[in-house]
Parts: sequence; structure tokens; C-alpha cells
Amino acid sequence: MRITRFPRGQRALGISVAVLTLAMVATGCARKSNAQGSSTSGNGLAPASVKIAYVPGGPHPYFQPWKTAMNQAKQDFSLGGVTFNETSGWDQTKQNNVLQSLAAQGYNAFGVFGVSPDNINSTFQQLEGKHLTVASLGSCPAGNTDAASFCLATDVQTAAYRAAVAAIQAMGGSGNLVHLTGNKTDSNTQRRIAGVQKAVDETGGKVKLIQTITDIDTDLQTAQKAVADLLGAKGKQINGIVNTAYNPAVASASAVKQSGLPIKVIAIDDDPTILSGIKDGSVAATVVQNPVGQAYVGGYALMKLAGGCTMKTPGQTIDSGSFVVTKSDVATYDTKRQDETKQLKTDFDSKYLSCK
Amino acid sequence: MNVPMQQSDATVPTDELATESAQRPPRGLPFWANPRLGLLAVIVVLVLVFSSLRSSFLNTDLTLVPMQQDLSVFLVVGLAQLAVLSLGHMNLAVPRMAAISAFAMGWCYQHLSVPLWLGLVAGLIVGAAVGALAGWIISATGVNSFVVTLALDFALVGLVSLLYSHIGDGVAFAAHPAGMNTLRNDTFSDYCAGNVCGPPVPLIVPIALLAAVLVALLFRLSRVGREILMTGSNARAARLSGIPVSRRVVQAHALSGTLAALAGFLLAINSGAFSADIGNSFLLPSFLGPVLGGTLLSGGAVSVLGTIFGAALTEVIRTGLNLLNFSVQDLNIYIGLVLLVALSLDRVRHVLAERRGSRA
Repeated sequence: MRITRFPRGQRALGISVAVLTLAMVATGCARKSNAQGSSTSGNGLAPASVKIAYVPGGPHPYFQPWKTAMNQAKQDFSLGGVTFNETSGWDQTKQNNVLQSLAAQGYNAFGVFGVSPDNINSTFQQLEGKHLTVASLGSCPAGNTDAASFCLATDVQTAAYRAAVAAIQAMGGSGNLVHLTGNKTDSNTQRRIAGVQKAVDETGGKVKLIQTITDIDTDLQTAQKAVADLLGAKGKQINGIVNTAYNPAVASASAVKQSGLPIKVIAIDDDPTILSGIKDGSVAATVVQNPVGQAYVGGYALMKLAGGCTMKTPGQTIDSGSFVVTKSDVATYDTKRQDETKQLKTDFDSKYLSCK
Repeated sequence: MNVPMQQSDATVPTDELATESAQRPPRGLPFWANPRLGLLAVIVVLVLVFSSLRSSFLNTDLTLVPMQQDLSVFLVVGLAQLAVLSLGHMNLAVPRMAAISAFAMGWCYQHLSVPLWLGLVAGLIVGAAVGALAGWIISATGVNSFVVTLALDFALVGLVSLLYSHIGDGVAFAAHPAGMNTLRNDTFSDYCAGNVCGPPVPLIVPIALLAAVLVALLFRLSRVGREILMTGSNARAARLSGIPVSRRVVQAHALSGTLAALAGFLLAINSGAFSADIGNSFLLPSFLGPVLGGTLLSGGAVSVLGTIFGAALTEVIRTGLNLLNFSVQDLNIYIGLVLLVALSLDRVRHVLAERRGSRA
């Protein structure tokens, strides 16, 4: 650019020079030794001093059971306090702000469903650097490492595989399958896609995955529109729909029922619409997860870690369980899930935690 | 809250143009009528209110440092939009220009193992090229910038996703070039000469400030910047005055793309990975900072200092409301209300100042 005159810019130029000088001086100075350490060794806090913040990625019906479970955990384990904050709005930057704000308010243990599995390890490292105890609940970081103390979540690839196997069985072992799922740029979605593909590959070509529709879990309206378009365009070719996200599951269950098409729908989670669909036969099966167990047992483990226990394997991934529910066990599946929660708590004491 | 450039200004010599009129109140008005001063006053009041309600608002590690990191990103995002608002254009593709530039940077770090600065340069070039493409389409076809950048954004959404699936490593790059973690975690207070340490300012802040200073210098002092503003004020008059309007449009959009790329880089540093979701949250903040700060949507006048204050105001409000534990439903309502009150007060103050000035 050609500068035509300078008089008014002298102050601005001065600022920029000062900023650069500051940066250069800083890099020339000696760096203080890093005294920060990992909190996986615990802070020796009594349960009454442990304040746990449950931070989902944003508002979603999946997390609503966390609220009841965390209050139960507070009561059962005599915790100092619990809070539930869903204001992150599916934005990693906002979630980082929320976590920092909660830490500033005195919360010292965090159960976090990271918005971005690819970035969340950095957030965990930052929190642990401030001697806070962190667990990833409901979703594990991408890759093979977890900077949080542990990850208690549904093994999404296995759950998607189970859902696809259930769909293929309901279809009679052959036909055309469609997969409806969430955000394509989420590594968990990639795992779900891989799980469904594995089940399809095992049929040796008898089942064809004709379409995978992503990015329709933002809200129910988006999912309803996508399902209506799908049924309008290919309804008669489709033999089965496997859902690995909540909103498409609710949308496809009601759309298939209304259309009267002979499509076998495999849903996810246990929304009342889906459960009534299973009861009346319009939904073949659903894969339910264990959000209560994640929040309740996660809270228990966070309390233990903040109290001085350590993980035998830091960053360990623990499957919180997923169950295929059909018409035959729709009335009893919750008992099975409660048993799984009790078993998870026992496993933390016996297998995962090391307490002196 | 700002003073639009008069149409007749387009005919006055370039160095008389109205960047300064957007920065200062009209002659005869009291000093407190300066819109930037009003915005600063609102920020100061909000800081006092929030810190009296929650002392943790002034916690250095948990509040002030993260606020500065976010502010750095959203300041540069605001500057990216400001660059084209100067023409009276919009760039709805700021989010995806950041995303595709972040892809280029991540790919360079992952597959070419280049140093941090070289990857940044590569990303800035990609951002500038995509921005220039948008500018060229706008000037060559005469189609509204809203339509062109909206279409470009849609195209880039698909492209970024495809690039990550086929050329990238899924949805993010795992590479962490040397210096990335230092830039993310360190503040100047970590560096000491003897017993004297720096202020608790994150290392990325000077990068954003440098970008702001350079953009301010461009629009205030350089011929190119002034000609861009003149084009934004009245393209026909600019053309008749001998200004290469098409070239200035391309240059302003290229600058917007470059700044979007820098914002993508800063966000990747803050969040710890070059991933496909970089830029997703950029669109609204890109307008919020400049517009709150007094940059005109109709073009011809910009305010870099106002953009800094505008971005700071939104950051202060969000952090304060977070600390006050507002629920997700309440948070957005109150952010909207506080912004509305802030803008209304600013307008009231300006009207009062104008009346006082006319009486004098």
C-alpha cells in the first residue's frame, strides 16, 4: 500500500512498535518454570468440599436425565454442590468460557460432554493445569488419548453396530438400508458411520446401504424435513432405517408410521414417542443409552478422584452401556440399565480407581 | 452513533475523506459525544456491575485471560467483516474462509511439518485468494455481495467437509507444531527479566492488536484504504474520480479473506486443533463488533477502535452473564437486551450532544 501522509498515524504507529517490542522483549526473557501439574493425583478434598459441574455440549433431550442423576449423586455422596450448565450452545469456544466461569465460581470437578471431540483434550489439559478434576461424560475425545481422568460414555461405534444388526435382522437379512445421523464433522459421527458400515459389510452384499444422511440432528424440524424428503424420493425402495441420533429417530418413527410404508425403523434412546412406537409395532427396536449412569457414576468417580484417589489407567475409556430394546423387553429394560449403573459403580471401586 | 460520509465528500480530495469523521464527533459537539467514548463508558459500567456482583469476574486466570483470548479472535473476525463493510458490502463467507484457511494450515503442519509461522502464511494466502475470488465475482458480475458470499459460503461448507474426508485426517488434524501450545497457554506474566514479569496478557493478543493497527493504518493513511472507503461511499463518483473501483473491491475482499484466515488461526490456537468446525460461530460476531463500534453497513466509514470496543462489549456481557449463572434460555434474551440498552443509551447520548451543540 502507498502511504500518503503520516502525521495522524504517529500514535498508532507508536502503539504497534510498542506491541512488537513487548513481544520481542517477552520472548527474550526467561520463562518461569511451569509449576502446574496434573490433577489426576487428586486434591485430597472431603466430599462436602467437592462441587461438581455437569456441562453438556448444549441443550439436548439426551442430557435431561443428568439433572435427576446429579441431584441423586449429591444426596447419596454428600457432595458440596452440583450444577448443570447447558449454555455452551454446541460451540466449543462458548463451552470453554462456561467451564472457566464455573471454575471461577468455585466448582472444582467437571463432567464434560465436549462439543468438539477433536479440540476437547486441550480444554481438559487447561482445566487440569489449574488443579481441577475432569471427566469426559457421554462423549470421548477423538483419537486414542483422553486428557481427562476418564471417559464414561456410550461406545458409539458398538452402539451403531448393534442398531444396524437389529435393523438387518428386522429386515429379514436383506434389502436397502438408510442411516440417519448427526454432524458429519464430529468424529463420533464418523465412528457411528463405521459401526453401521461394519454391520452392512457382514451381510456379504445382501444388505445395501443406499444413503447416509448427516447433519440432521440440529433440531426436530430439520430432521422431520429430511425424513419427509427421503420418504418422498425413495420411500418404496427402503426396507430399513437405522438412526444413530436422537432427532432423526423421533422424526423417522412418526413419519414412517404416518406413511404406512413397510419400513423397519431402528431408533435410538427412549423418548416417549419412540417407546410408544415400539409398543404399537411401528418401531422395530431402539438402542437405549445410559445417561443416568454416566452422570451418577461419573459424579461418584469425580468425588473419589478429587478426594485423592487416582485412576489406575489415566484417561481410560469406560463403556456406560447400550441396550437393544424390542417389544418383548420394553417394559423391563430400565431394570437392566439400573443394574448396569450399579455394576459400573462397583467396577470403579474394584477395577478403575486406586485409593489409599 | 456514527457520522456517515456525505455523498458530496466523494468529490473532495482523497486526504479529506471521512475515516476521521467516523472516528470523531461533528465539530462543535462536546468530547463525550464521541461514540467510541460512549461504548467504552458502557463497558466500564458493565465491568463495575459484574465485578461487584461476582468478584470472580476479576479472577486473572479463570476470567480475564480467557476473555482476552476470545476477544483476540472476535476482534479479528470483526475486522474481517469491517474490511468489506468499508465498501458497503457483506461477507457471509467469513466463517468458511476461516475454515478453509485453517484446513490449509493444518494440512501444512500435518503433512509438510512446516513451522508455525510458515503454515500461518500459507493459510493467509489461501484466505486472501478465496476473498479475492469473491471480490472478483462481485465486481465482474455486478451481483450483490450478499448473494455471492452466501453462495460461496454454501460451496465452501461442502468443500471443507470433502477436503477433511478425502485429503485430511477425518475431521481434524492432530499436528501440534512447535510453539502452538506456548502461544495457547502462556501469558507475558510467564516471562520474567529478573523479578520483573510481564502483564497477564496472552501471547496471542499482540497478534490481534497488530492486525487491528495495520487495518487502521490502511484505512487512515494509505491511498488504497481511502480509495476503498470512497468506493464504498459512492462507487460511481469514485470511478469518475479515476479510482480503479473493481481492483479496490477485489483488494477489500482479499483483505477480508486474509483476516478471516488469521481469525481461524487464532481460534485453532485457542481451541487446540485445526478442525472442520473452525469458523462455525463467526458469522454473528463478525457483524456485531464493527456495527456496535460505529462502522456503517452502507459503507464509506469504518472504525477499528469501535470494533475493538464492540467486540469487548459482547465479550464482557457474555462472561458476566455466564458468571451470574443465567440459563440457556435467559442468556440470549439478556445478551440481546443489554446490547439494545447499550445502543439506545449511546444514541440518546449522541442526540443530547447534537442538541447541545446546535444550541451553542
